[in-house]
Amino acid sequence: MDPLPPLPDGRNRARTGYVLGGLAVLFVALAMLFLSTMREHVKPRKAIPLVDTKFLATTPWRQTYADLVKAKADLSDYDCYGCHEKNKPPTLRFDENQKIIVPQEHVNIVMGHGSHGRNNLCFNCHNDKNLTTLQVRDGREIGFDNIPQLCGTCHGPNYRDWEAGAHGRTSGYWDRSKGDIVRLSCANCHNPHSPRIPTREPAPGPHALRAVEESKPHDAAH
Amino acid sequence: MSSPFSSPDKTSDAAMSRRNFLRGTAALGGLTALAASLSPLLELDDLTSTEKFLQKYYKEMTPDDMSKVIKRISNEVERQYGVRPHVRDLKPMDGVEFVYCLNLTRCIGCRKCVHACVNENNQSRNPEIQYIRVLKMPHGSMDVEKGNHTYDDKHVPDPGYFYMPIQCQQCHNPPCVKVCPVNATWQEKDGITVIDYDWCIGCRYCEAACPYWARRFNWTKPQIPKERLNPNMAYLGNRPRKQGVMEKCHFCIQRTRDGRYPACLEVCPVGARKFGNILDPNSEVSYILREKRVFIQLKEEMGTNPRFFYYFDK
Repeated sequence: MDPLPPLPDGRNRARTGYVLGGLAVLFVALAMLFLSTMREHVKPRKAIPLVDTKFLATTPWRQTYADLVKAKADLSDYDCYGCHEKNKPPTLRFDENQKIIVPQEHVNIVMGHGSHGRNNLCFNCHNDKNLTTLQVRDGREIGFDNIPQLCGTCHGPNYRDWEAGAHGRTSGYWDRSKGDIVRLSCANCHNPHSPRIPTREPAPGPHALRAVEESKPHDAAH
Repeated sequence: MSSPFSSPDKTSDAAMSRRNFLRGTAALGGLTALAASLSPLLELDDLTSTEKFLQKYYKEMTPDDMSKVIKRISNEVERQYGVRPHVRDLKPMDGVEFVYCLNLTRCIGCRKCVHACVNENNQSRNPEIQYIRVLKMPHGSMDVEKGNHTYDDKHVPDPGYFYMPIQCQQCHNPPCVKVCPVNATWQEKDGITVIDYDWCIGCRYCEAACPYWARRFNWTKPQIPKERLNPNMAYLGNRPRKQGVMEKCHFCIQRTRDGRYPACLEVCPVGARKFGNILDPNSEVSYILREKRVFIQLKEEMGTNPRFFYYFDK
């Protein structure tokens, strides 16, 4: 910037005074402005509730008979021969559509194994000669602690995947030198009588960084 | 130079004192303004210590340096969160390269992985930082543009849709690493791209470079409730971050370099997530890549060559 043209002595001094005075006022005003906005420059964020710990649980949602035995749980519900007669295979009854009639005592069982109502006979898997065990179609007896062996006779590819650790939940160690992989049994996830995994409530979705107006989730299918 | 501001005037005492008064006022006002504008710094409770300031680059640290750094971090975490953490610096193992496989046939979109990850990796709860996004996608398309990650259905899976979780793909050719101006992020030999949170300057270039939106920025100091803090920490992993640095999925380094599975895998209720060492022919991931219909590496055409594979069962 070019230096200002020389002025008479008195006016020069006056101009300096005005400029400095103006600057001082400006600075003081700025300082006031900064100080006044300083306290409120962070707006409080909308509270986000902590996620329910049920969504963090790693325990399987079903317990198998073997788990109950291991946990020394009350097994009185599983005492088959408390009601059934030994050495006398139970008879199955069917309605007019050839659908099996689930007896009153087993009303909690929903028959839904197989997409077209196939595999609707109890003794396809249960052992009619000994209700405390299961049976494969070739007649081999299989214990309740060895379910994958039974399921695998029909679901071969899934059984193969499960053995390789590729089907089903796993936990534990990928590095087998440090520890074991924990694989679950089929019935830890699938209800054997209705194996399709039921729908469930999803965990909460992401919250926007800023508090935005309630916006409709955009239609994914458009 | 003869500017009117600097020309001395020794003739009048009165003028001097007036000028000095004005100068003094201006200087005082200026200093006050400066102090006021700097005052937000007072709110920084984790202001850099000399130790932290002089900390060496991760790759140049000796084990001795590292143990000092770990001690400093442990103290800081204890002071800030009231929990004494167990911080480790876990190195990549020989003969190990991690790969993740995700079964799109199985995923039901329950988002448990998202929250297990937040819980394991000490992400901020408010504002939320989440490494995993679950996209709800209509059947018949693999176009992620059609995905919606804010779905709030009462029940999942919704018929007619499939779900596609996206997180850091741990690329062989990571664009985020290329753009980092300070080498605060790099790829380790087990395939994990890591971030040194003490070296990151928060420029967010990597966030812009990542085609998967996998990187997250700490806009504020992360808010983690004491009872949810995971004390099992790793230097390059889940130790609490500070304001102004990037973070992202690191395959749960504090677990996986210890031989365990990542948290998102263990929590998955349908076993859709599979993880392991691709260099071991007997691992689950080797089996899957060999036997399954591995459909995509996401955005394959970008040439990033992810270590994250999506596959189908049937």
